Amino acid sequence: MIEALWLLAGGAAAGVFGSLLGLGGGVLIVPLLTLGFGLDLRAAVGVSLVSVIVTSSAAAGVYLERNIANLRLGMTLELFTAGGALVGGLIAFLIDERLLAVLFAILLGYVSLTMLRQKTPSPDEGPTPTEPFSAPDDEPTGDFEALRLAALDRLAGDDYPIRNLGRGIGGSAGAGVVSALLGIGGGIIKVPLMHVGMGVPLRVATATSNLMIGVTAAASAVIYLLRGEIDPYVAGPVAIGVFLGASVGSRVAHRVDLRILRWLFVAVLTYTAVLMLLRALG
Amino acid sequence: MTRPHPVDRRFERRLGRLLIGVTYSAVVLLLVGVVLLLAAGISPLAGGPSFEPADLAADLLALEPAAFLWLGLLAVIATPVSRVLGAAAGFVRGGEPLMAAIAVAILGVIAVGVLAALLGG
Repeated sequence: MIEALWLLAGGAAAGVFGSLLGLGGGVLIVPLLTLGFGLDLRAAVGVSLVSVIVTSSAAAGVYLERNIANLRLGMTLELFTAGGALVGGLIAFLIDERLLAVLFAILLGYVSLTMLRQKTPSPDEGPTPTEPFSAPDDEPTGDFEALRLAALDRLAGDDYPIRNLGRGIGGSAGAGVVSALLGIGGGIIKVPLMHVGMGVPLRVATATSNLMIGVTAAASAVIYLLRGEIDPYVAGPVAIGVFLGASVGSRVAHRVDLRILRWLFVAVLTYTAVLMLLRALG
Repeated sequence: MTRPHPVDRRFERRLGRLLIGVTYSAVVLLLVGVVLLLAAGISPLAGGPSFEPADLAADLLALEPAAFLWLGLLAVIATPVSRVLGAAAGFVRGGEPLMAAIAVAILGVIAVGVLAALLGG
């Protein structure tokens, strides 16, 4: 019984920290379950995917209710992110667990570096578009160009254009593969992809990423579940813990000094990355 | 930047409420399962039972923790799928065939995953 409470508490801690630092819980749950509770990496990834769906769906619902997420853009990109997740979910069972551990250690290193370089932008800040998407005076140069401009126009928000849809599609497919292999939501890839790469305001990119994470994780979670890699006794307490932790984290975020927390988090992630590498080396 | 918006903001709000409703239902099922797990004094690290759809109804009636946990996990995975289904219906009603086709294609990708997992054992 005490183990169930430890799993619940561990999930809650991952949810709180993930929420405070703008990460999903996945990047913390997988090391917690593998290094802390001795689960196989694939089993930990399966549990993490379920937890990621719970937290991202709750957040995405609120964003949709408040009309912050871009539903059309999110659904267009999630077709490709789901495709990537399908591929990732299938190849995850063909890859040696030690290679997965190395990939996860690389991911942790990448997240640490990203957090070290992170500034605190204004929520409504959006990058200046560097190329026009469909100004009213644009003269389409052919059928394909006209179709491309029409598609971008449909996906644009009320007050911002969309650019580089091809880059967004490619990046989304890649994020789907990474998500399925490592059990993360992939927001750490999708948000910068949409914000910096496609010109979507940060707040909208965050909301739309949350929308996409659910489908991305579901596309691979179903594969893990049907292949018997999700243990209900572990997944239940962890998912509940992450859900509660993320709810608490989002409520207290404005009262916490994120600079200190970020440094602490970078240290924990780096230490975890080393442990994962050691695990990979046997 | 004028563009047609056949699917209105009300539709997105409805989708948001659907997503929240299904998420909370899934969380409640998981919570019941966890409470039953704690009450039964079962160690979660001992390894849970495998998923047996045929036994699910009987196990739910018998208040088996695993049954509620499995149902909760299925509901979790169904949550984003229900949003895509809802969006597909809305896009069809709103006369947006391209977006409706994208929604159906997403469901198709998930269905391929299910088939591949079943065939792959």
